[in-house]
Amino acid sequence: MTQPGDRNIVLSGVSLARQDRPLFAGLSLDIAELRVGLIGDNGAGKSSLLRLINGLLLPDAGAIVVHGLETKAQRASLPGKVGFIFQNPEHQIVFPTGAEELAFGLRCTGMNSKQADVAARAFLAAHDCADWADTSVGELSDGQKQHLCILAILVMMPSLVLLDEPFSSLDLPSRMKFMKMIAALPQQVIMASHDLDVFANFDRVIWIDGGKIAADGAPAQVIAAYRQRCVDSIGRAP
Amino acid sequence: MIAPYLTQKTWLHRVGAGHKLLALAVISLGFTQLYDGRGLLVATLAVLAFYLVTIFGHWSRLRLYAPLVPLLIGIGALQAYASGWELAIASIARLVAMILLADLVTATTPMLKMMDALAPVLRPLRRIGVDENQVSLAVALVIRFMPVLLNEWTKRGEAWRARTGRRPPLRLLAPFVADILRLADHVAEALDSRGFSTKRSKD
Repeated sequence: MTQPGDRNIVLSGVSLARQDRPLFAGLSLDIAELRVGLIGDNGAGKSSLLRLINGLLLPDAGAIVVHGLETKAQRASLPGKVGFIFQNPEHQIVFPTGAEELAFGLRCTGMNSKQADVAARAFLAAHDCADWADTSVGELSDGQKQHLCILAILVMMPSLVLLDEPFSSLDLPSRMKFMKMIAALPQQVIMASHDLDVFANFDRVIWIDGGKIAADGAPAQVIAAYRQRCVDSIGRAP
Repeated sequence: MIAPYLTQKTWLHRVGAGHKLLALAVISLGFTQLYDGRGLLVATLAVLAFYLVTIFGHWSRLRLYAPLVPLLIGIGALQAYASGWELAIASIARLVAMILLADLVTATTPMLKMMDALAPVLRPLRRIGVDENQVSLAVALVIRFMPVLLNEWTKRGEAWRARTGRRPPLRLLAPFVADILRLADHVAEALDSRGFSTKRSKD
């Protein structure tokens, strides 16, 4: 679990091209806060930044150290430390039942099938979701599917949880439930979202624009600046 | 991505994955060796009856296979033209029986159990440098995603029909393939981010 000292994420001079187009050029960033939000337009680089932090993408130049692990050299150890929640739970859930979905991650960390199954069922039961162990995932609601995705990540005991637009397809009650759940997590959390209200109690918000940091700091100021830019750009539009 | 697994337990849920896969292989082989038209028809009807009894009450499952009907008719027509009606009916009967049996296995077998059953069979591949865990995951994913892809195709067809009022043409295959590739990317990322390719499950 998270120790106060190993909560640092350091990007030094990171460059990354996507589809032959440069996105980040010499980006440097230090993140040590417990709750960090990423905002910005579509294509600004939020998802790419999250994918750089969990090693799904590797930088073309520069280095990224996440909780003591260098993403290029120690990529194999990252899944044990960094959990990733995707936008669409349908893409994340690859197994037909809840218990299998949780057990899969545990097996990837080296548990045998029996241990993984027992641990997965116990974890579901501890989170009041014992019913899901043998339920076909197709029968769960969208909110329940996203809940299952989060449990499947938490069961692996990561020290950092990354969320990429996790609530865009969820109704308001589900959103509120998950925000409460996320607020209570002991882990460090970095979340990208277009729903700016969810960042009210975060420690820091970073606005990314065209691969650069447009503003960075307390949620209220950064979000206000982003809103103003949006209003201005609509005003200028033909 | 999610494919239908029958939550309601049938007796077939309790049969081991290895036994089911073996039975599927043996019966499928048997069907390829059965040439008598009447015998084939009887065997296929028997499979259909077995299928319906096993999934009793979950008939909507059959709707997943509706998109296969034109394909079966196409194959039948081609066969009828090339080698006569009897062979055409025999080919369709074989295909239907095998599809139904394969569906019973996927409906009643958790995927991790399927992978565990396949891994030892694939172990000799290690000699040529292939990791059996990755192959068994690939095979399991193909089995699981088949109904999902059929469902995606139906949705594409519906969208086409809604806009044109006509039957979906064959050239809809191109965007469909693009859909599949995008889906494959998402699933690969999800597997990757949980460490599948970097650390191996061991048993």
